[in-house]
Amino acid sequence: MQLSPEQLQKGKQTFEASCSTCHGLDGAGAMGPNIQGIPFRLGVDSVTSVIKNGMPGGMPAFSGQLDSQQIQQVVGYLLTLTRKDDGQVTGDAAAGKQVYDASHCAGCHIISGEGGNIGPELTTVGQSRGPNYLRNTILYPGTDLPQARVFLETGGRLQFLFVRVTTKDGRTVEGTRVAEDSFYIVVEDAQGRFHSFRKEQLRALEKQPGKSTMPSMKGKLSDSQVNDLVAYLASLKGSP
Amino acid sequence: MKTARCLCALALWPVFLLTPRPCFSQNVPYARILHAQSEPESWLTYGGSYFSQQYSLLKQINRQNVSGLKIAWMYQPSRPVANLESSPIVADGVLYITEPPSTVTALDVRSGLKIWSYTPALPEHVVSIGLYATSRGVAILDDMVYVGTADAHLIALDAKTGAVRWNVHVADNVMGYAMTGPPLALKDRIVVGIAGSEAAVRGFLDAYDAKTGKRLWRLWTTPRVGDPGAETWGNGAAESAGATTWNNGSYDSDLNLIYWGTGNPAPDFNDDDRPGDNLYTCSLLAVDADTGRLKWYFQFSPHEDHDWDSDEPPVLFNAPIDGKPRRLVGFANRNGFYYVLDRSTGKFITGVPFVKQTWAKGLDANGRPIPAPNQEPTLGAGTLVYPSITGGVDWTSPSYSPQTGLFYVSVHETGAYFIKGTGKIEPGPPKGIVGGGGIRALAGEQSYGAIRALEATTGKLRWQFKLLAPAWVPVLSTAGGLVFSGSDEGNFFALDAETGKPLWDIQMGHPARSNPISYEVDGKQYIFVTAGNAYIAFTLP
Repeated sequence: MQLSPEQLQKGKQTFEASCSTCHGLDGAGAMGPNIQGIPFRLGVDSVTSVIKNGMPGGMPAFSGQLDSQQIQQVVGYLLTLTRKDDGQVTGDAAAGKQVYDASHCAGCHIISGEGGNIGPELTTVGQSRGPNYLRNTILYPGTDLPQARVFLETGGRLQFLFVRVTTKDGRTVEGTRVAEDSFYIVVEDAQGRFHSFRKEQLRALEKQPGKSTMPSMKGKLSDSQVNDLVAYLASLKGSP
Repeated sequence: MKTARCLCALALWPVFLLTPRPCFSQNVPYARILHAQSEPESWLTYGGSYFSQQYSLLKQINRQNVSGLKIAWMYQPSRPVANLESSPIVADGVLYITEPPSTVTALDVRSGLKIWSYTPALPEHVVSIGLYATSRGVAILDDMVYVGTADAHLIALDAKTGAVRWNVHVADNVMGYAMTGPPLALKDRIVVGIAGSEAAVRGFLDAYDAKTGKRLWRLWTTPRVGDPGAETWGNGAAESAGATTWNNGSYDSDLNLIYWGTGNPAPDFNDDDRPGDNLYTCSLLAVDADTGRLKWYFQFSPHEDHDWDSDEPPVLFNAPIDGKPRRLVGFANRNGFYYVLDRSTGKFITGVPFVKQTWAKGLDANGRPIPAPNQEPTLGAGTLVYPSITGGVDWTSPSYSPQTGLFYVSVHETGAYFIKGTGKIEPGPPKGIVGGGGIRALAGEQSYGAIRALEATTGKLRWQFKLLAPAWVPVLSTAGGLVFSGSDEGNFFALDAETGKPLWDIQMGHPARSNPISYEVDGKQYIFVTAGNAYIAFTLP
């Protein structure tokens, strides 16, 4: 989708008038969810359809208020709304693939159906994460956790949060929070096993952002290897 | 009980003895709603009684046995619904509920089986700006059920069959008017509010003749040039907009006063064109039920610019203040303060924060906030203010238990960045939200929720039960010593009303968004709530 700067500016104006109260002026979420990069995740056609017809959960239908051209301009503007600190790809993706294989990343991550299942799937990680984020996570895993959601209704919720629970009978489990409600928490340990706890049976529940099950590659990879790995991961994306 | 009522009616109408006619099986005269406490097996109005206490006198389910609560039945609409915030009416063996946007369904209270369903014809494009097309329920009076629709019609249905008795056009949906709140039925009339502040509509409260649908009165909730209060709009109120009335109200029959909250002024965050207090936005109104005249008002947030509507149902209760019995109204406001007012006069009695708030240094002797500096929405990155746009609590009903004297409310502990933008009210149909800015939520996990029990006459915190995230779930308290509410993660639970200790919980897969209520049939008490697409009744095995 190619739009002129004038059309993009109109899209920005329409976005700010009709969308920003719920999705924030930068699309990072307010009453409604973070929609930065959403055309990459859902596709342009789906996003256009959602704007036209709305969807359950609060997204209103805009087909009565915006014409097709305006909706197209908004979608075009959404394509420009990505993380501001995305950074630049400086490495070589093909070399990065070799770093990925040599570092046994596939022991924990699935790409296109191949790999282990302890860490998150990376098949389309380049759609949702920019180079700076990828580099930071490779070197300092757990320090910049992605937001699963930021609703003004309910606040933010972090993905891949590292937690340590201690039961009243003295058992300790560390790992990644998989799910949590006001009464239960589910933790995945370093071996990939799920542990489900009722909170009233816990002596302590410590949330430890900054820690991660994933080992840091700092000191294990050279700067250029990190840059190549970032380039490879950033290349893993579908087309909008 | 129903039979006895019918026989009684026959005795009063001897002509019936000569020409036998069937009793109407669905009939809820005003007197039944007025004396709702004498039939706790029913749930005859949105908040359980005209006092909107969300309190049930039933106690079969209690502290000792609530841990055994099980699902009795579930109902799901034939088509998935969004934004299910519908609270039921239970009368004469039937549970009346809405399915968003505007369908009304009657269910058998024992089995959950559908008896009838009515779906109004809505326009192809329903305008819903700044809100979603939800419906929080119906009202019942005599042999009719009343619903406000997403396109701002008020429709009266035959309670037995769902047939339309009348249908009136309340306001113009094209201009952004919509109806989301349940009507309030009292005496011979149906009182309804309206939504649409973010479309910059002008708010009002209406009363309609219950039998015919004829409009009896309209109270505009913002003045126009020359009206009392026009001086509180710097532009002379030529375009005063907002103060919508999109939830339910309460009623004191002795004073003949309706109590109803109003929403924010428009535009929400850009106040450049509306200097002044902007009456009667973000206020509690006391309205004469017969005439629609404003008896008194109390403005919680003068010149509001954080979207803190005051549309929570006001909770009426009677309790001593300084040893003297008083008629009171309690209000946990979206601005973060809990207020107690004298409901005869509107006089301020007390007000204390019930969540973290940064926008006011406190309240003066009349309850007017003393603004803290630098808490207005600003250009660029915005201003961090507590509470957030969703407030200490938004529209979800709190509960008052006469048994404990406590006021239970599901609170939001969170702030937000308030960003000022451009926003002008323009003539004609709205093109989008007239917000005049935006907001940004707190990142990370800085927000949480809680069920808090406040001493109703002082607002003093007695206990809290913390929730992982701020929840949008109303509260029910019961004579069984229980408080029912839910979490944003889908838990539905019962707490000890005295201590807040959790006694029972279930994961429902979606947060509840409707009032939990209680009813009884065949000697069994039920707890009813909705979640996602499900309408769920719980009982003891």
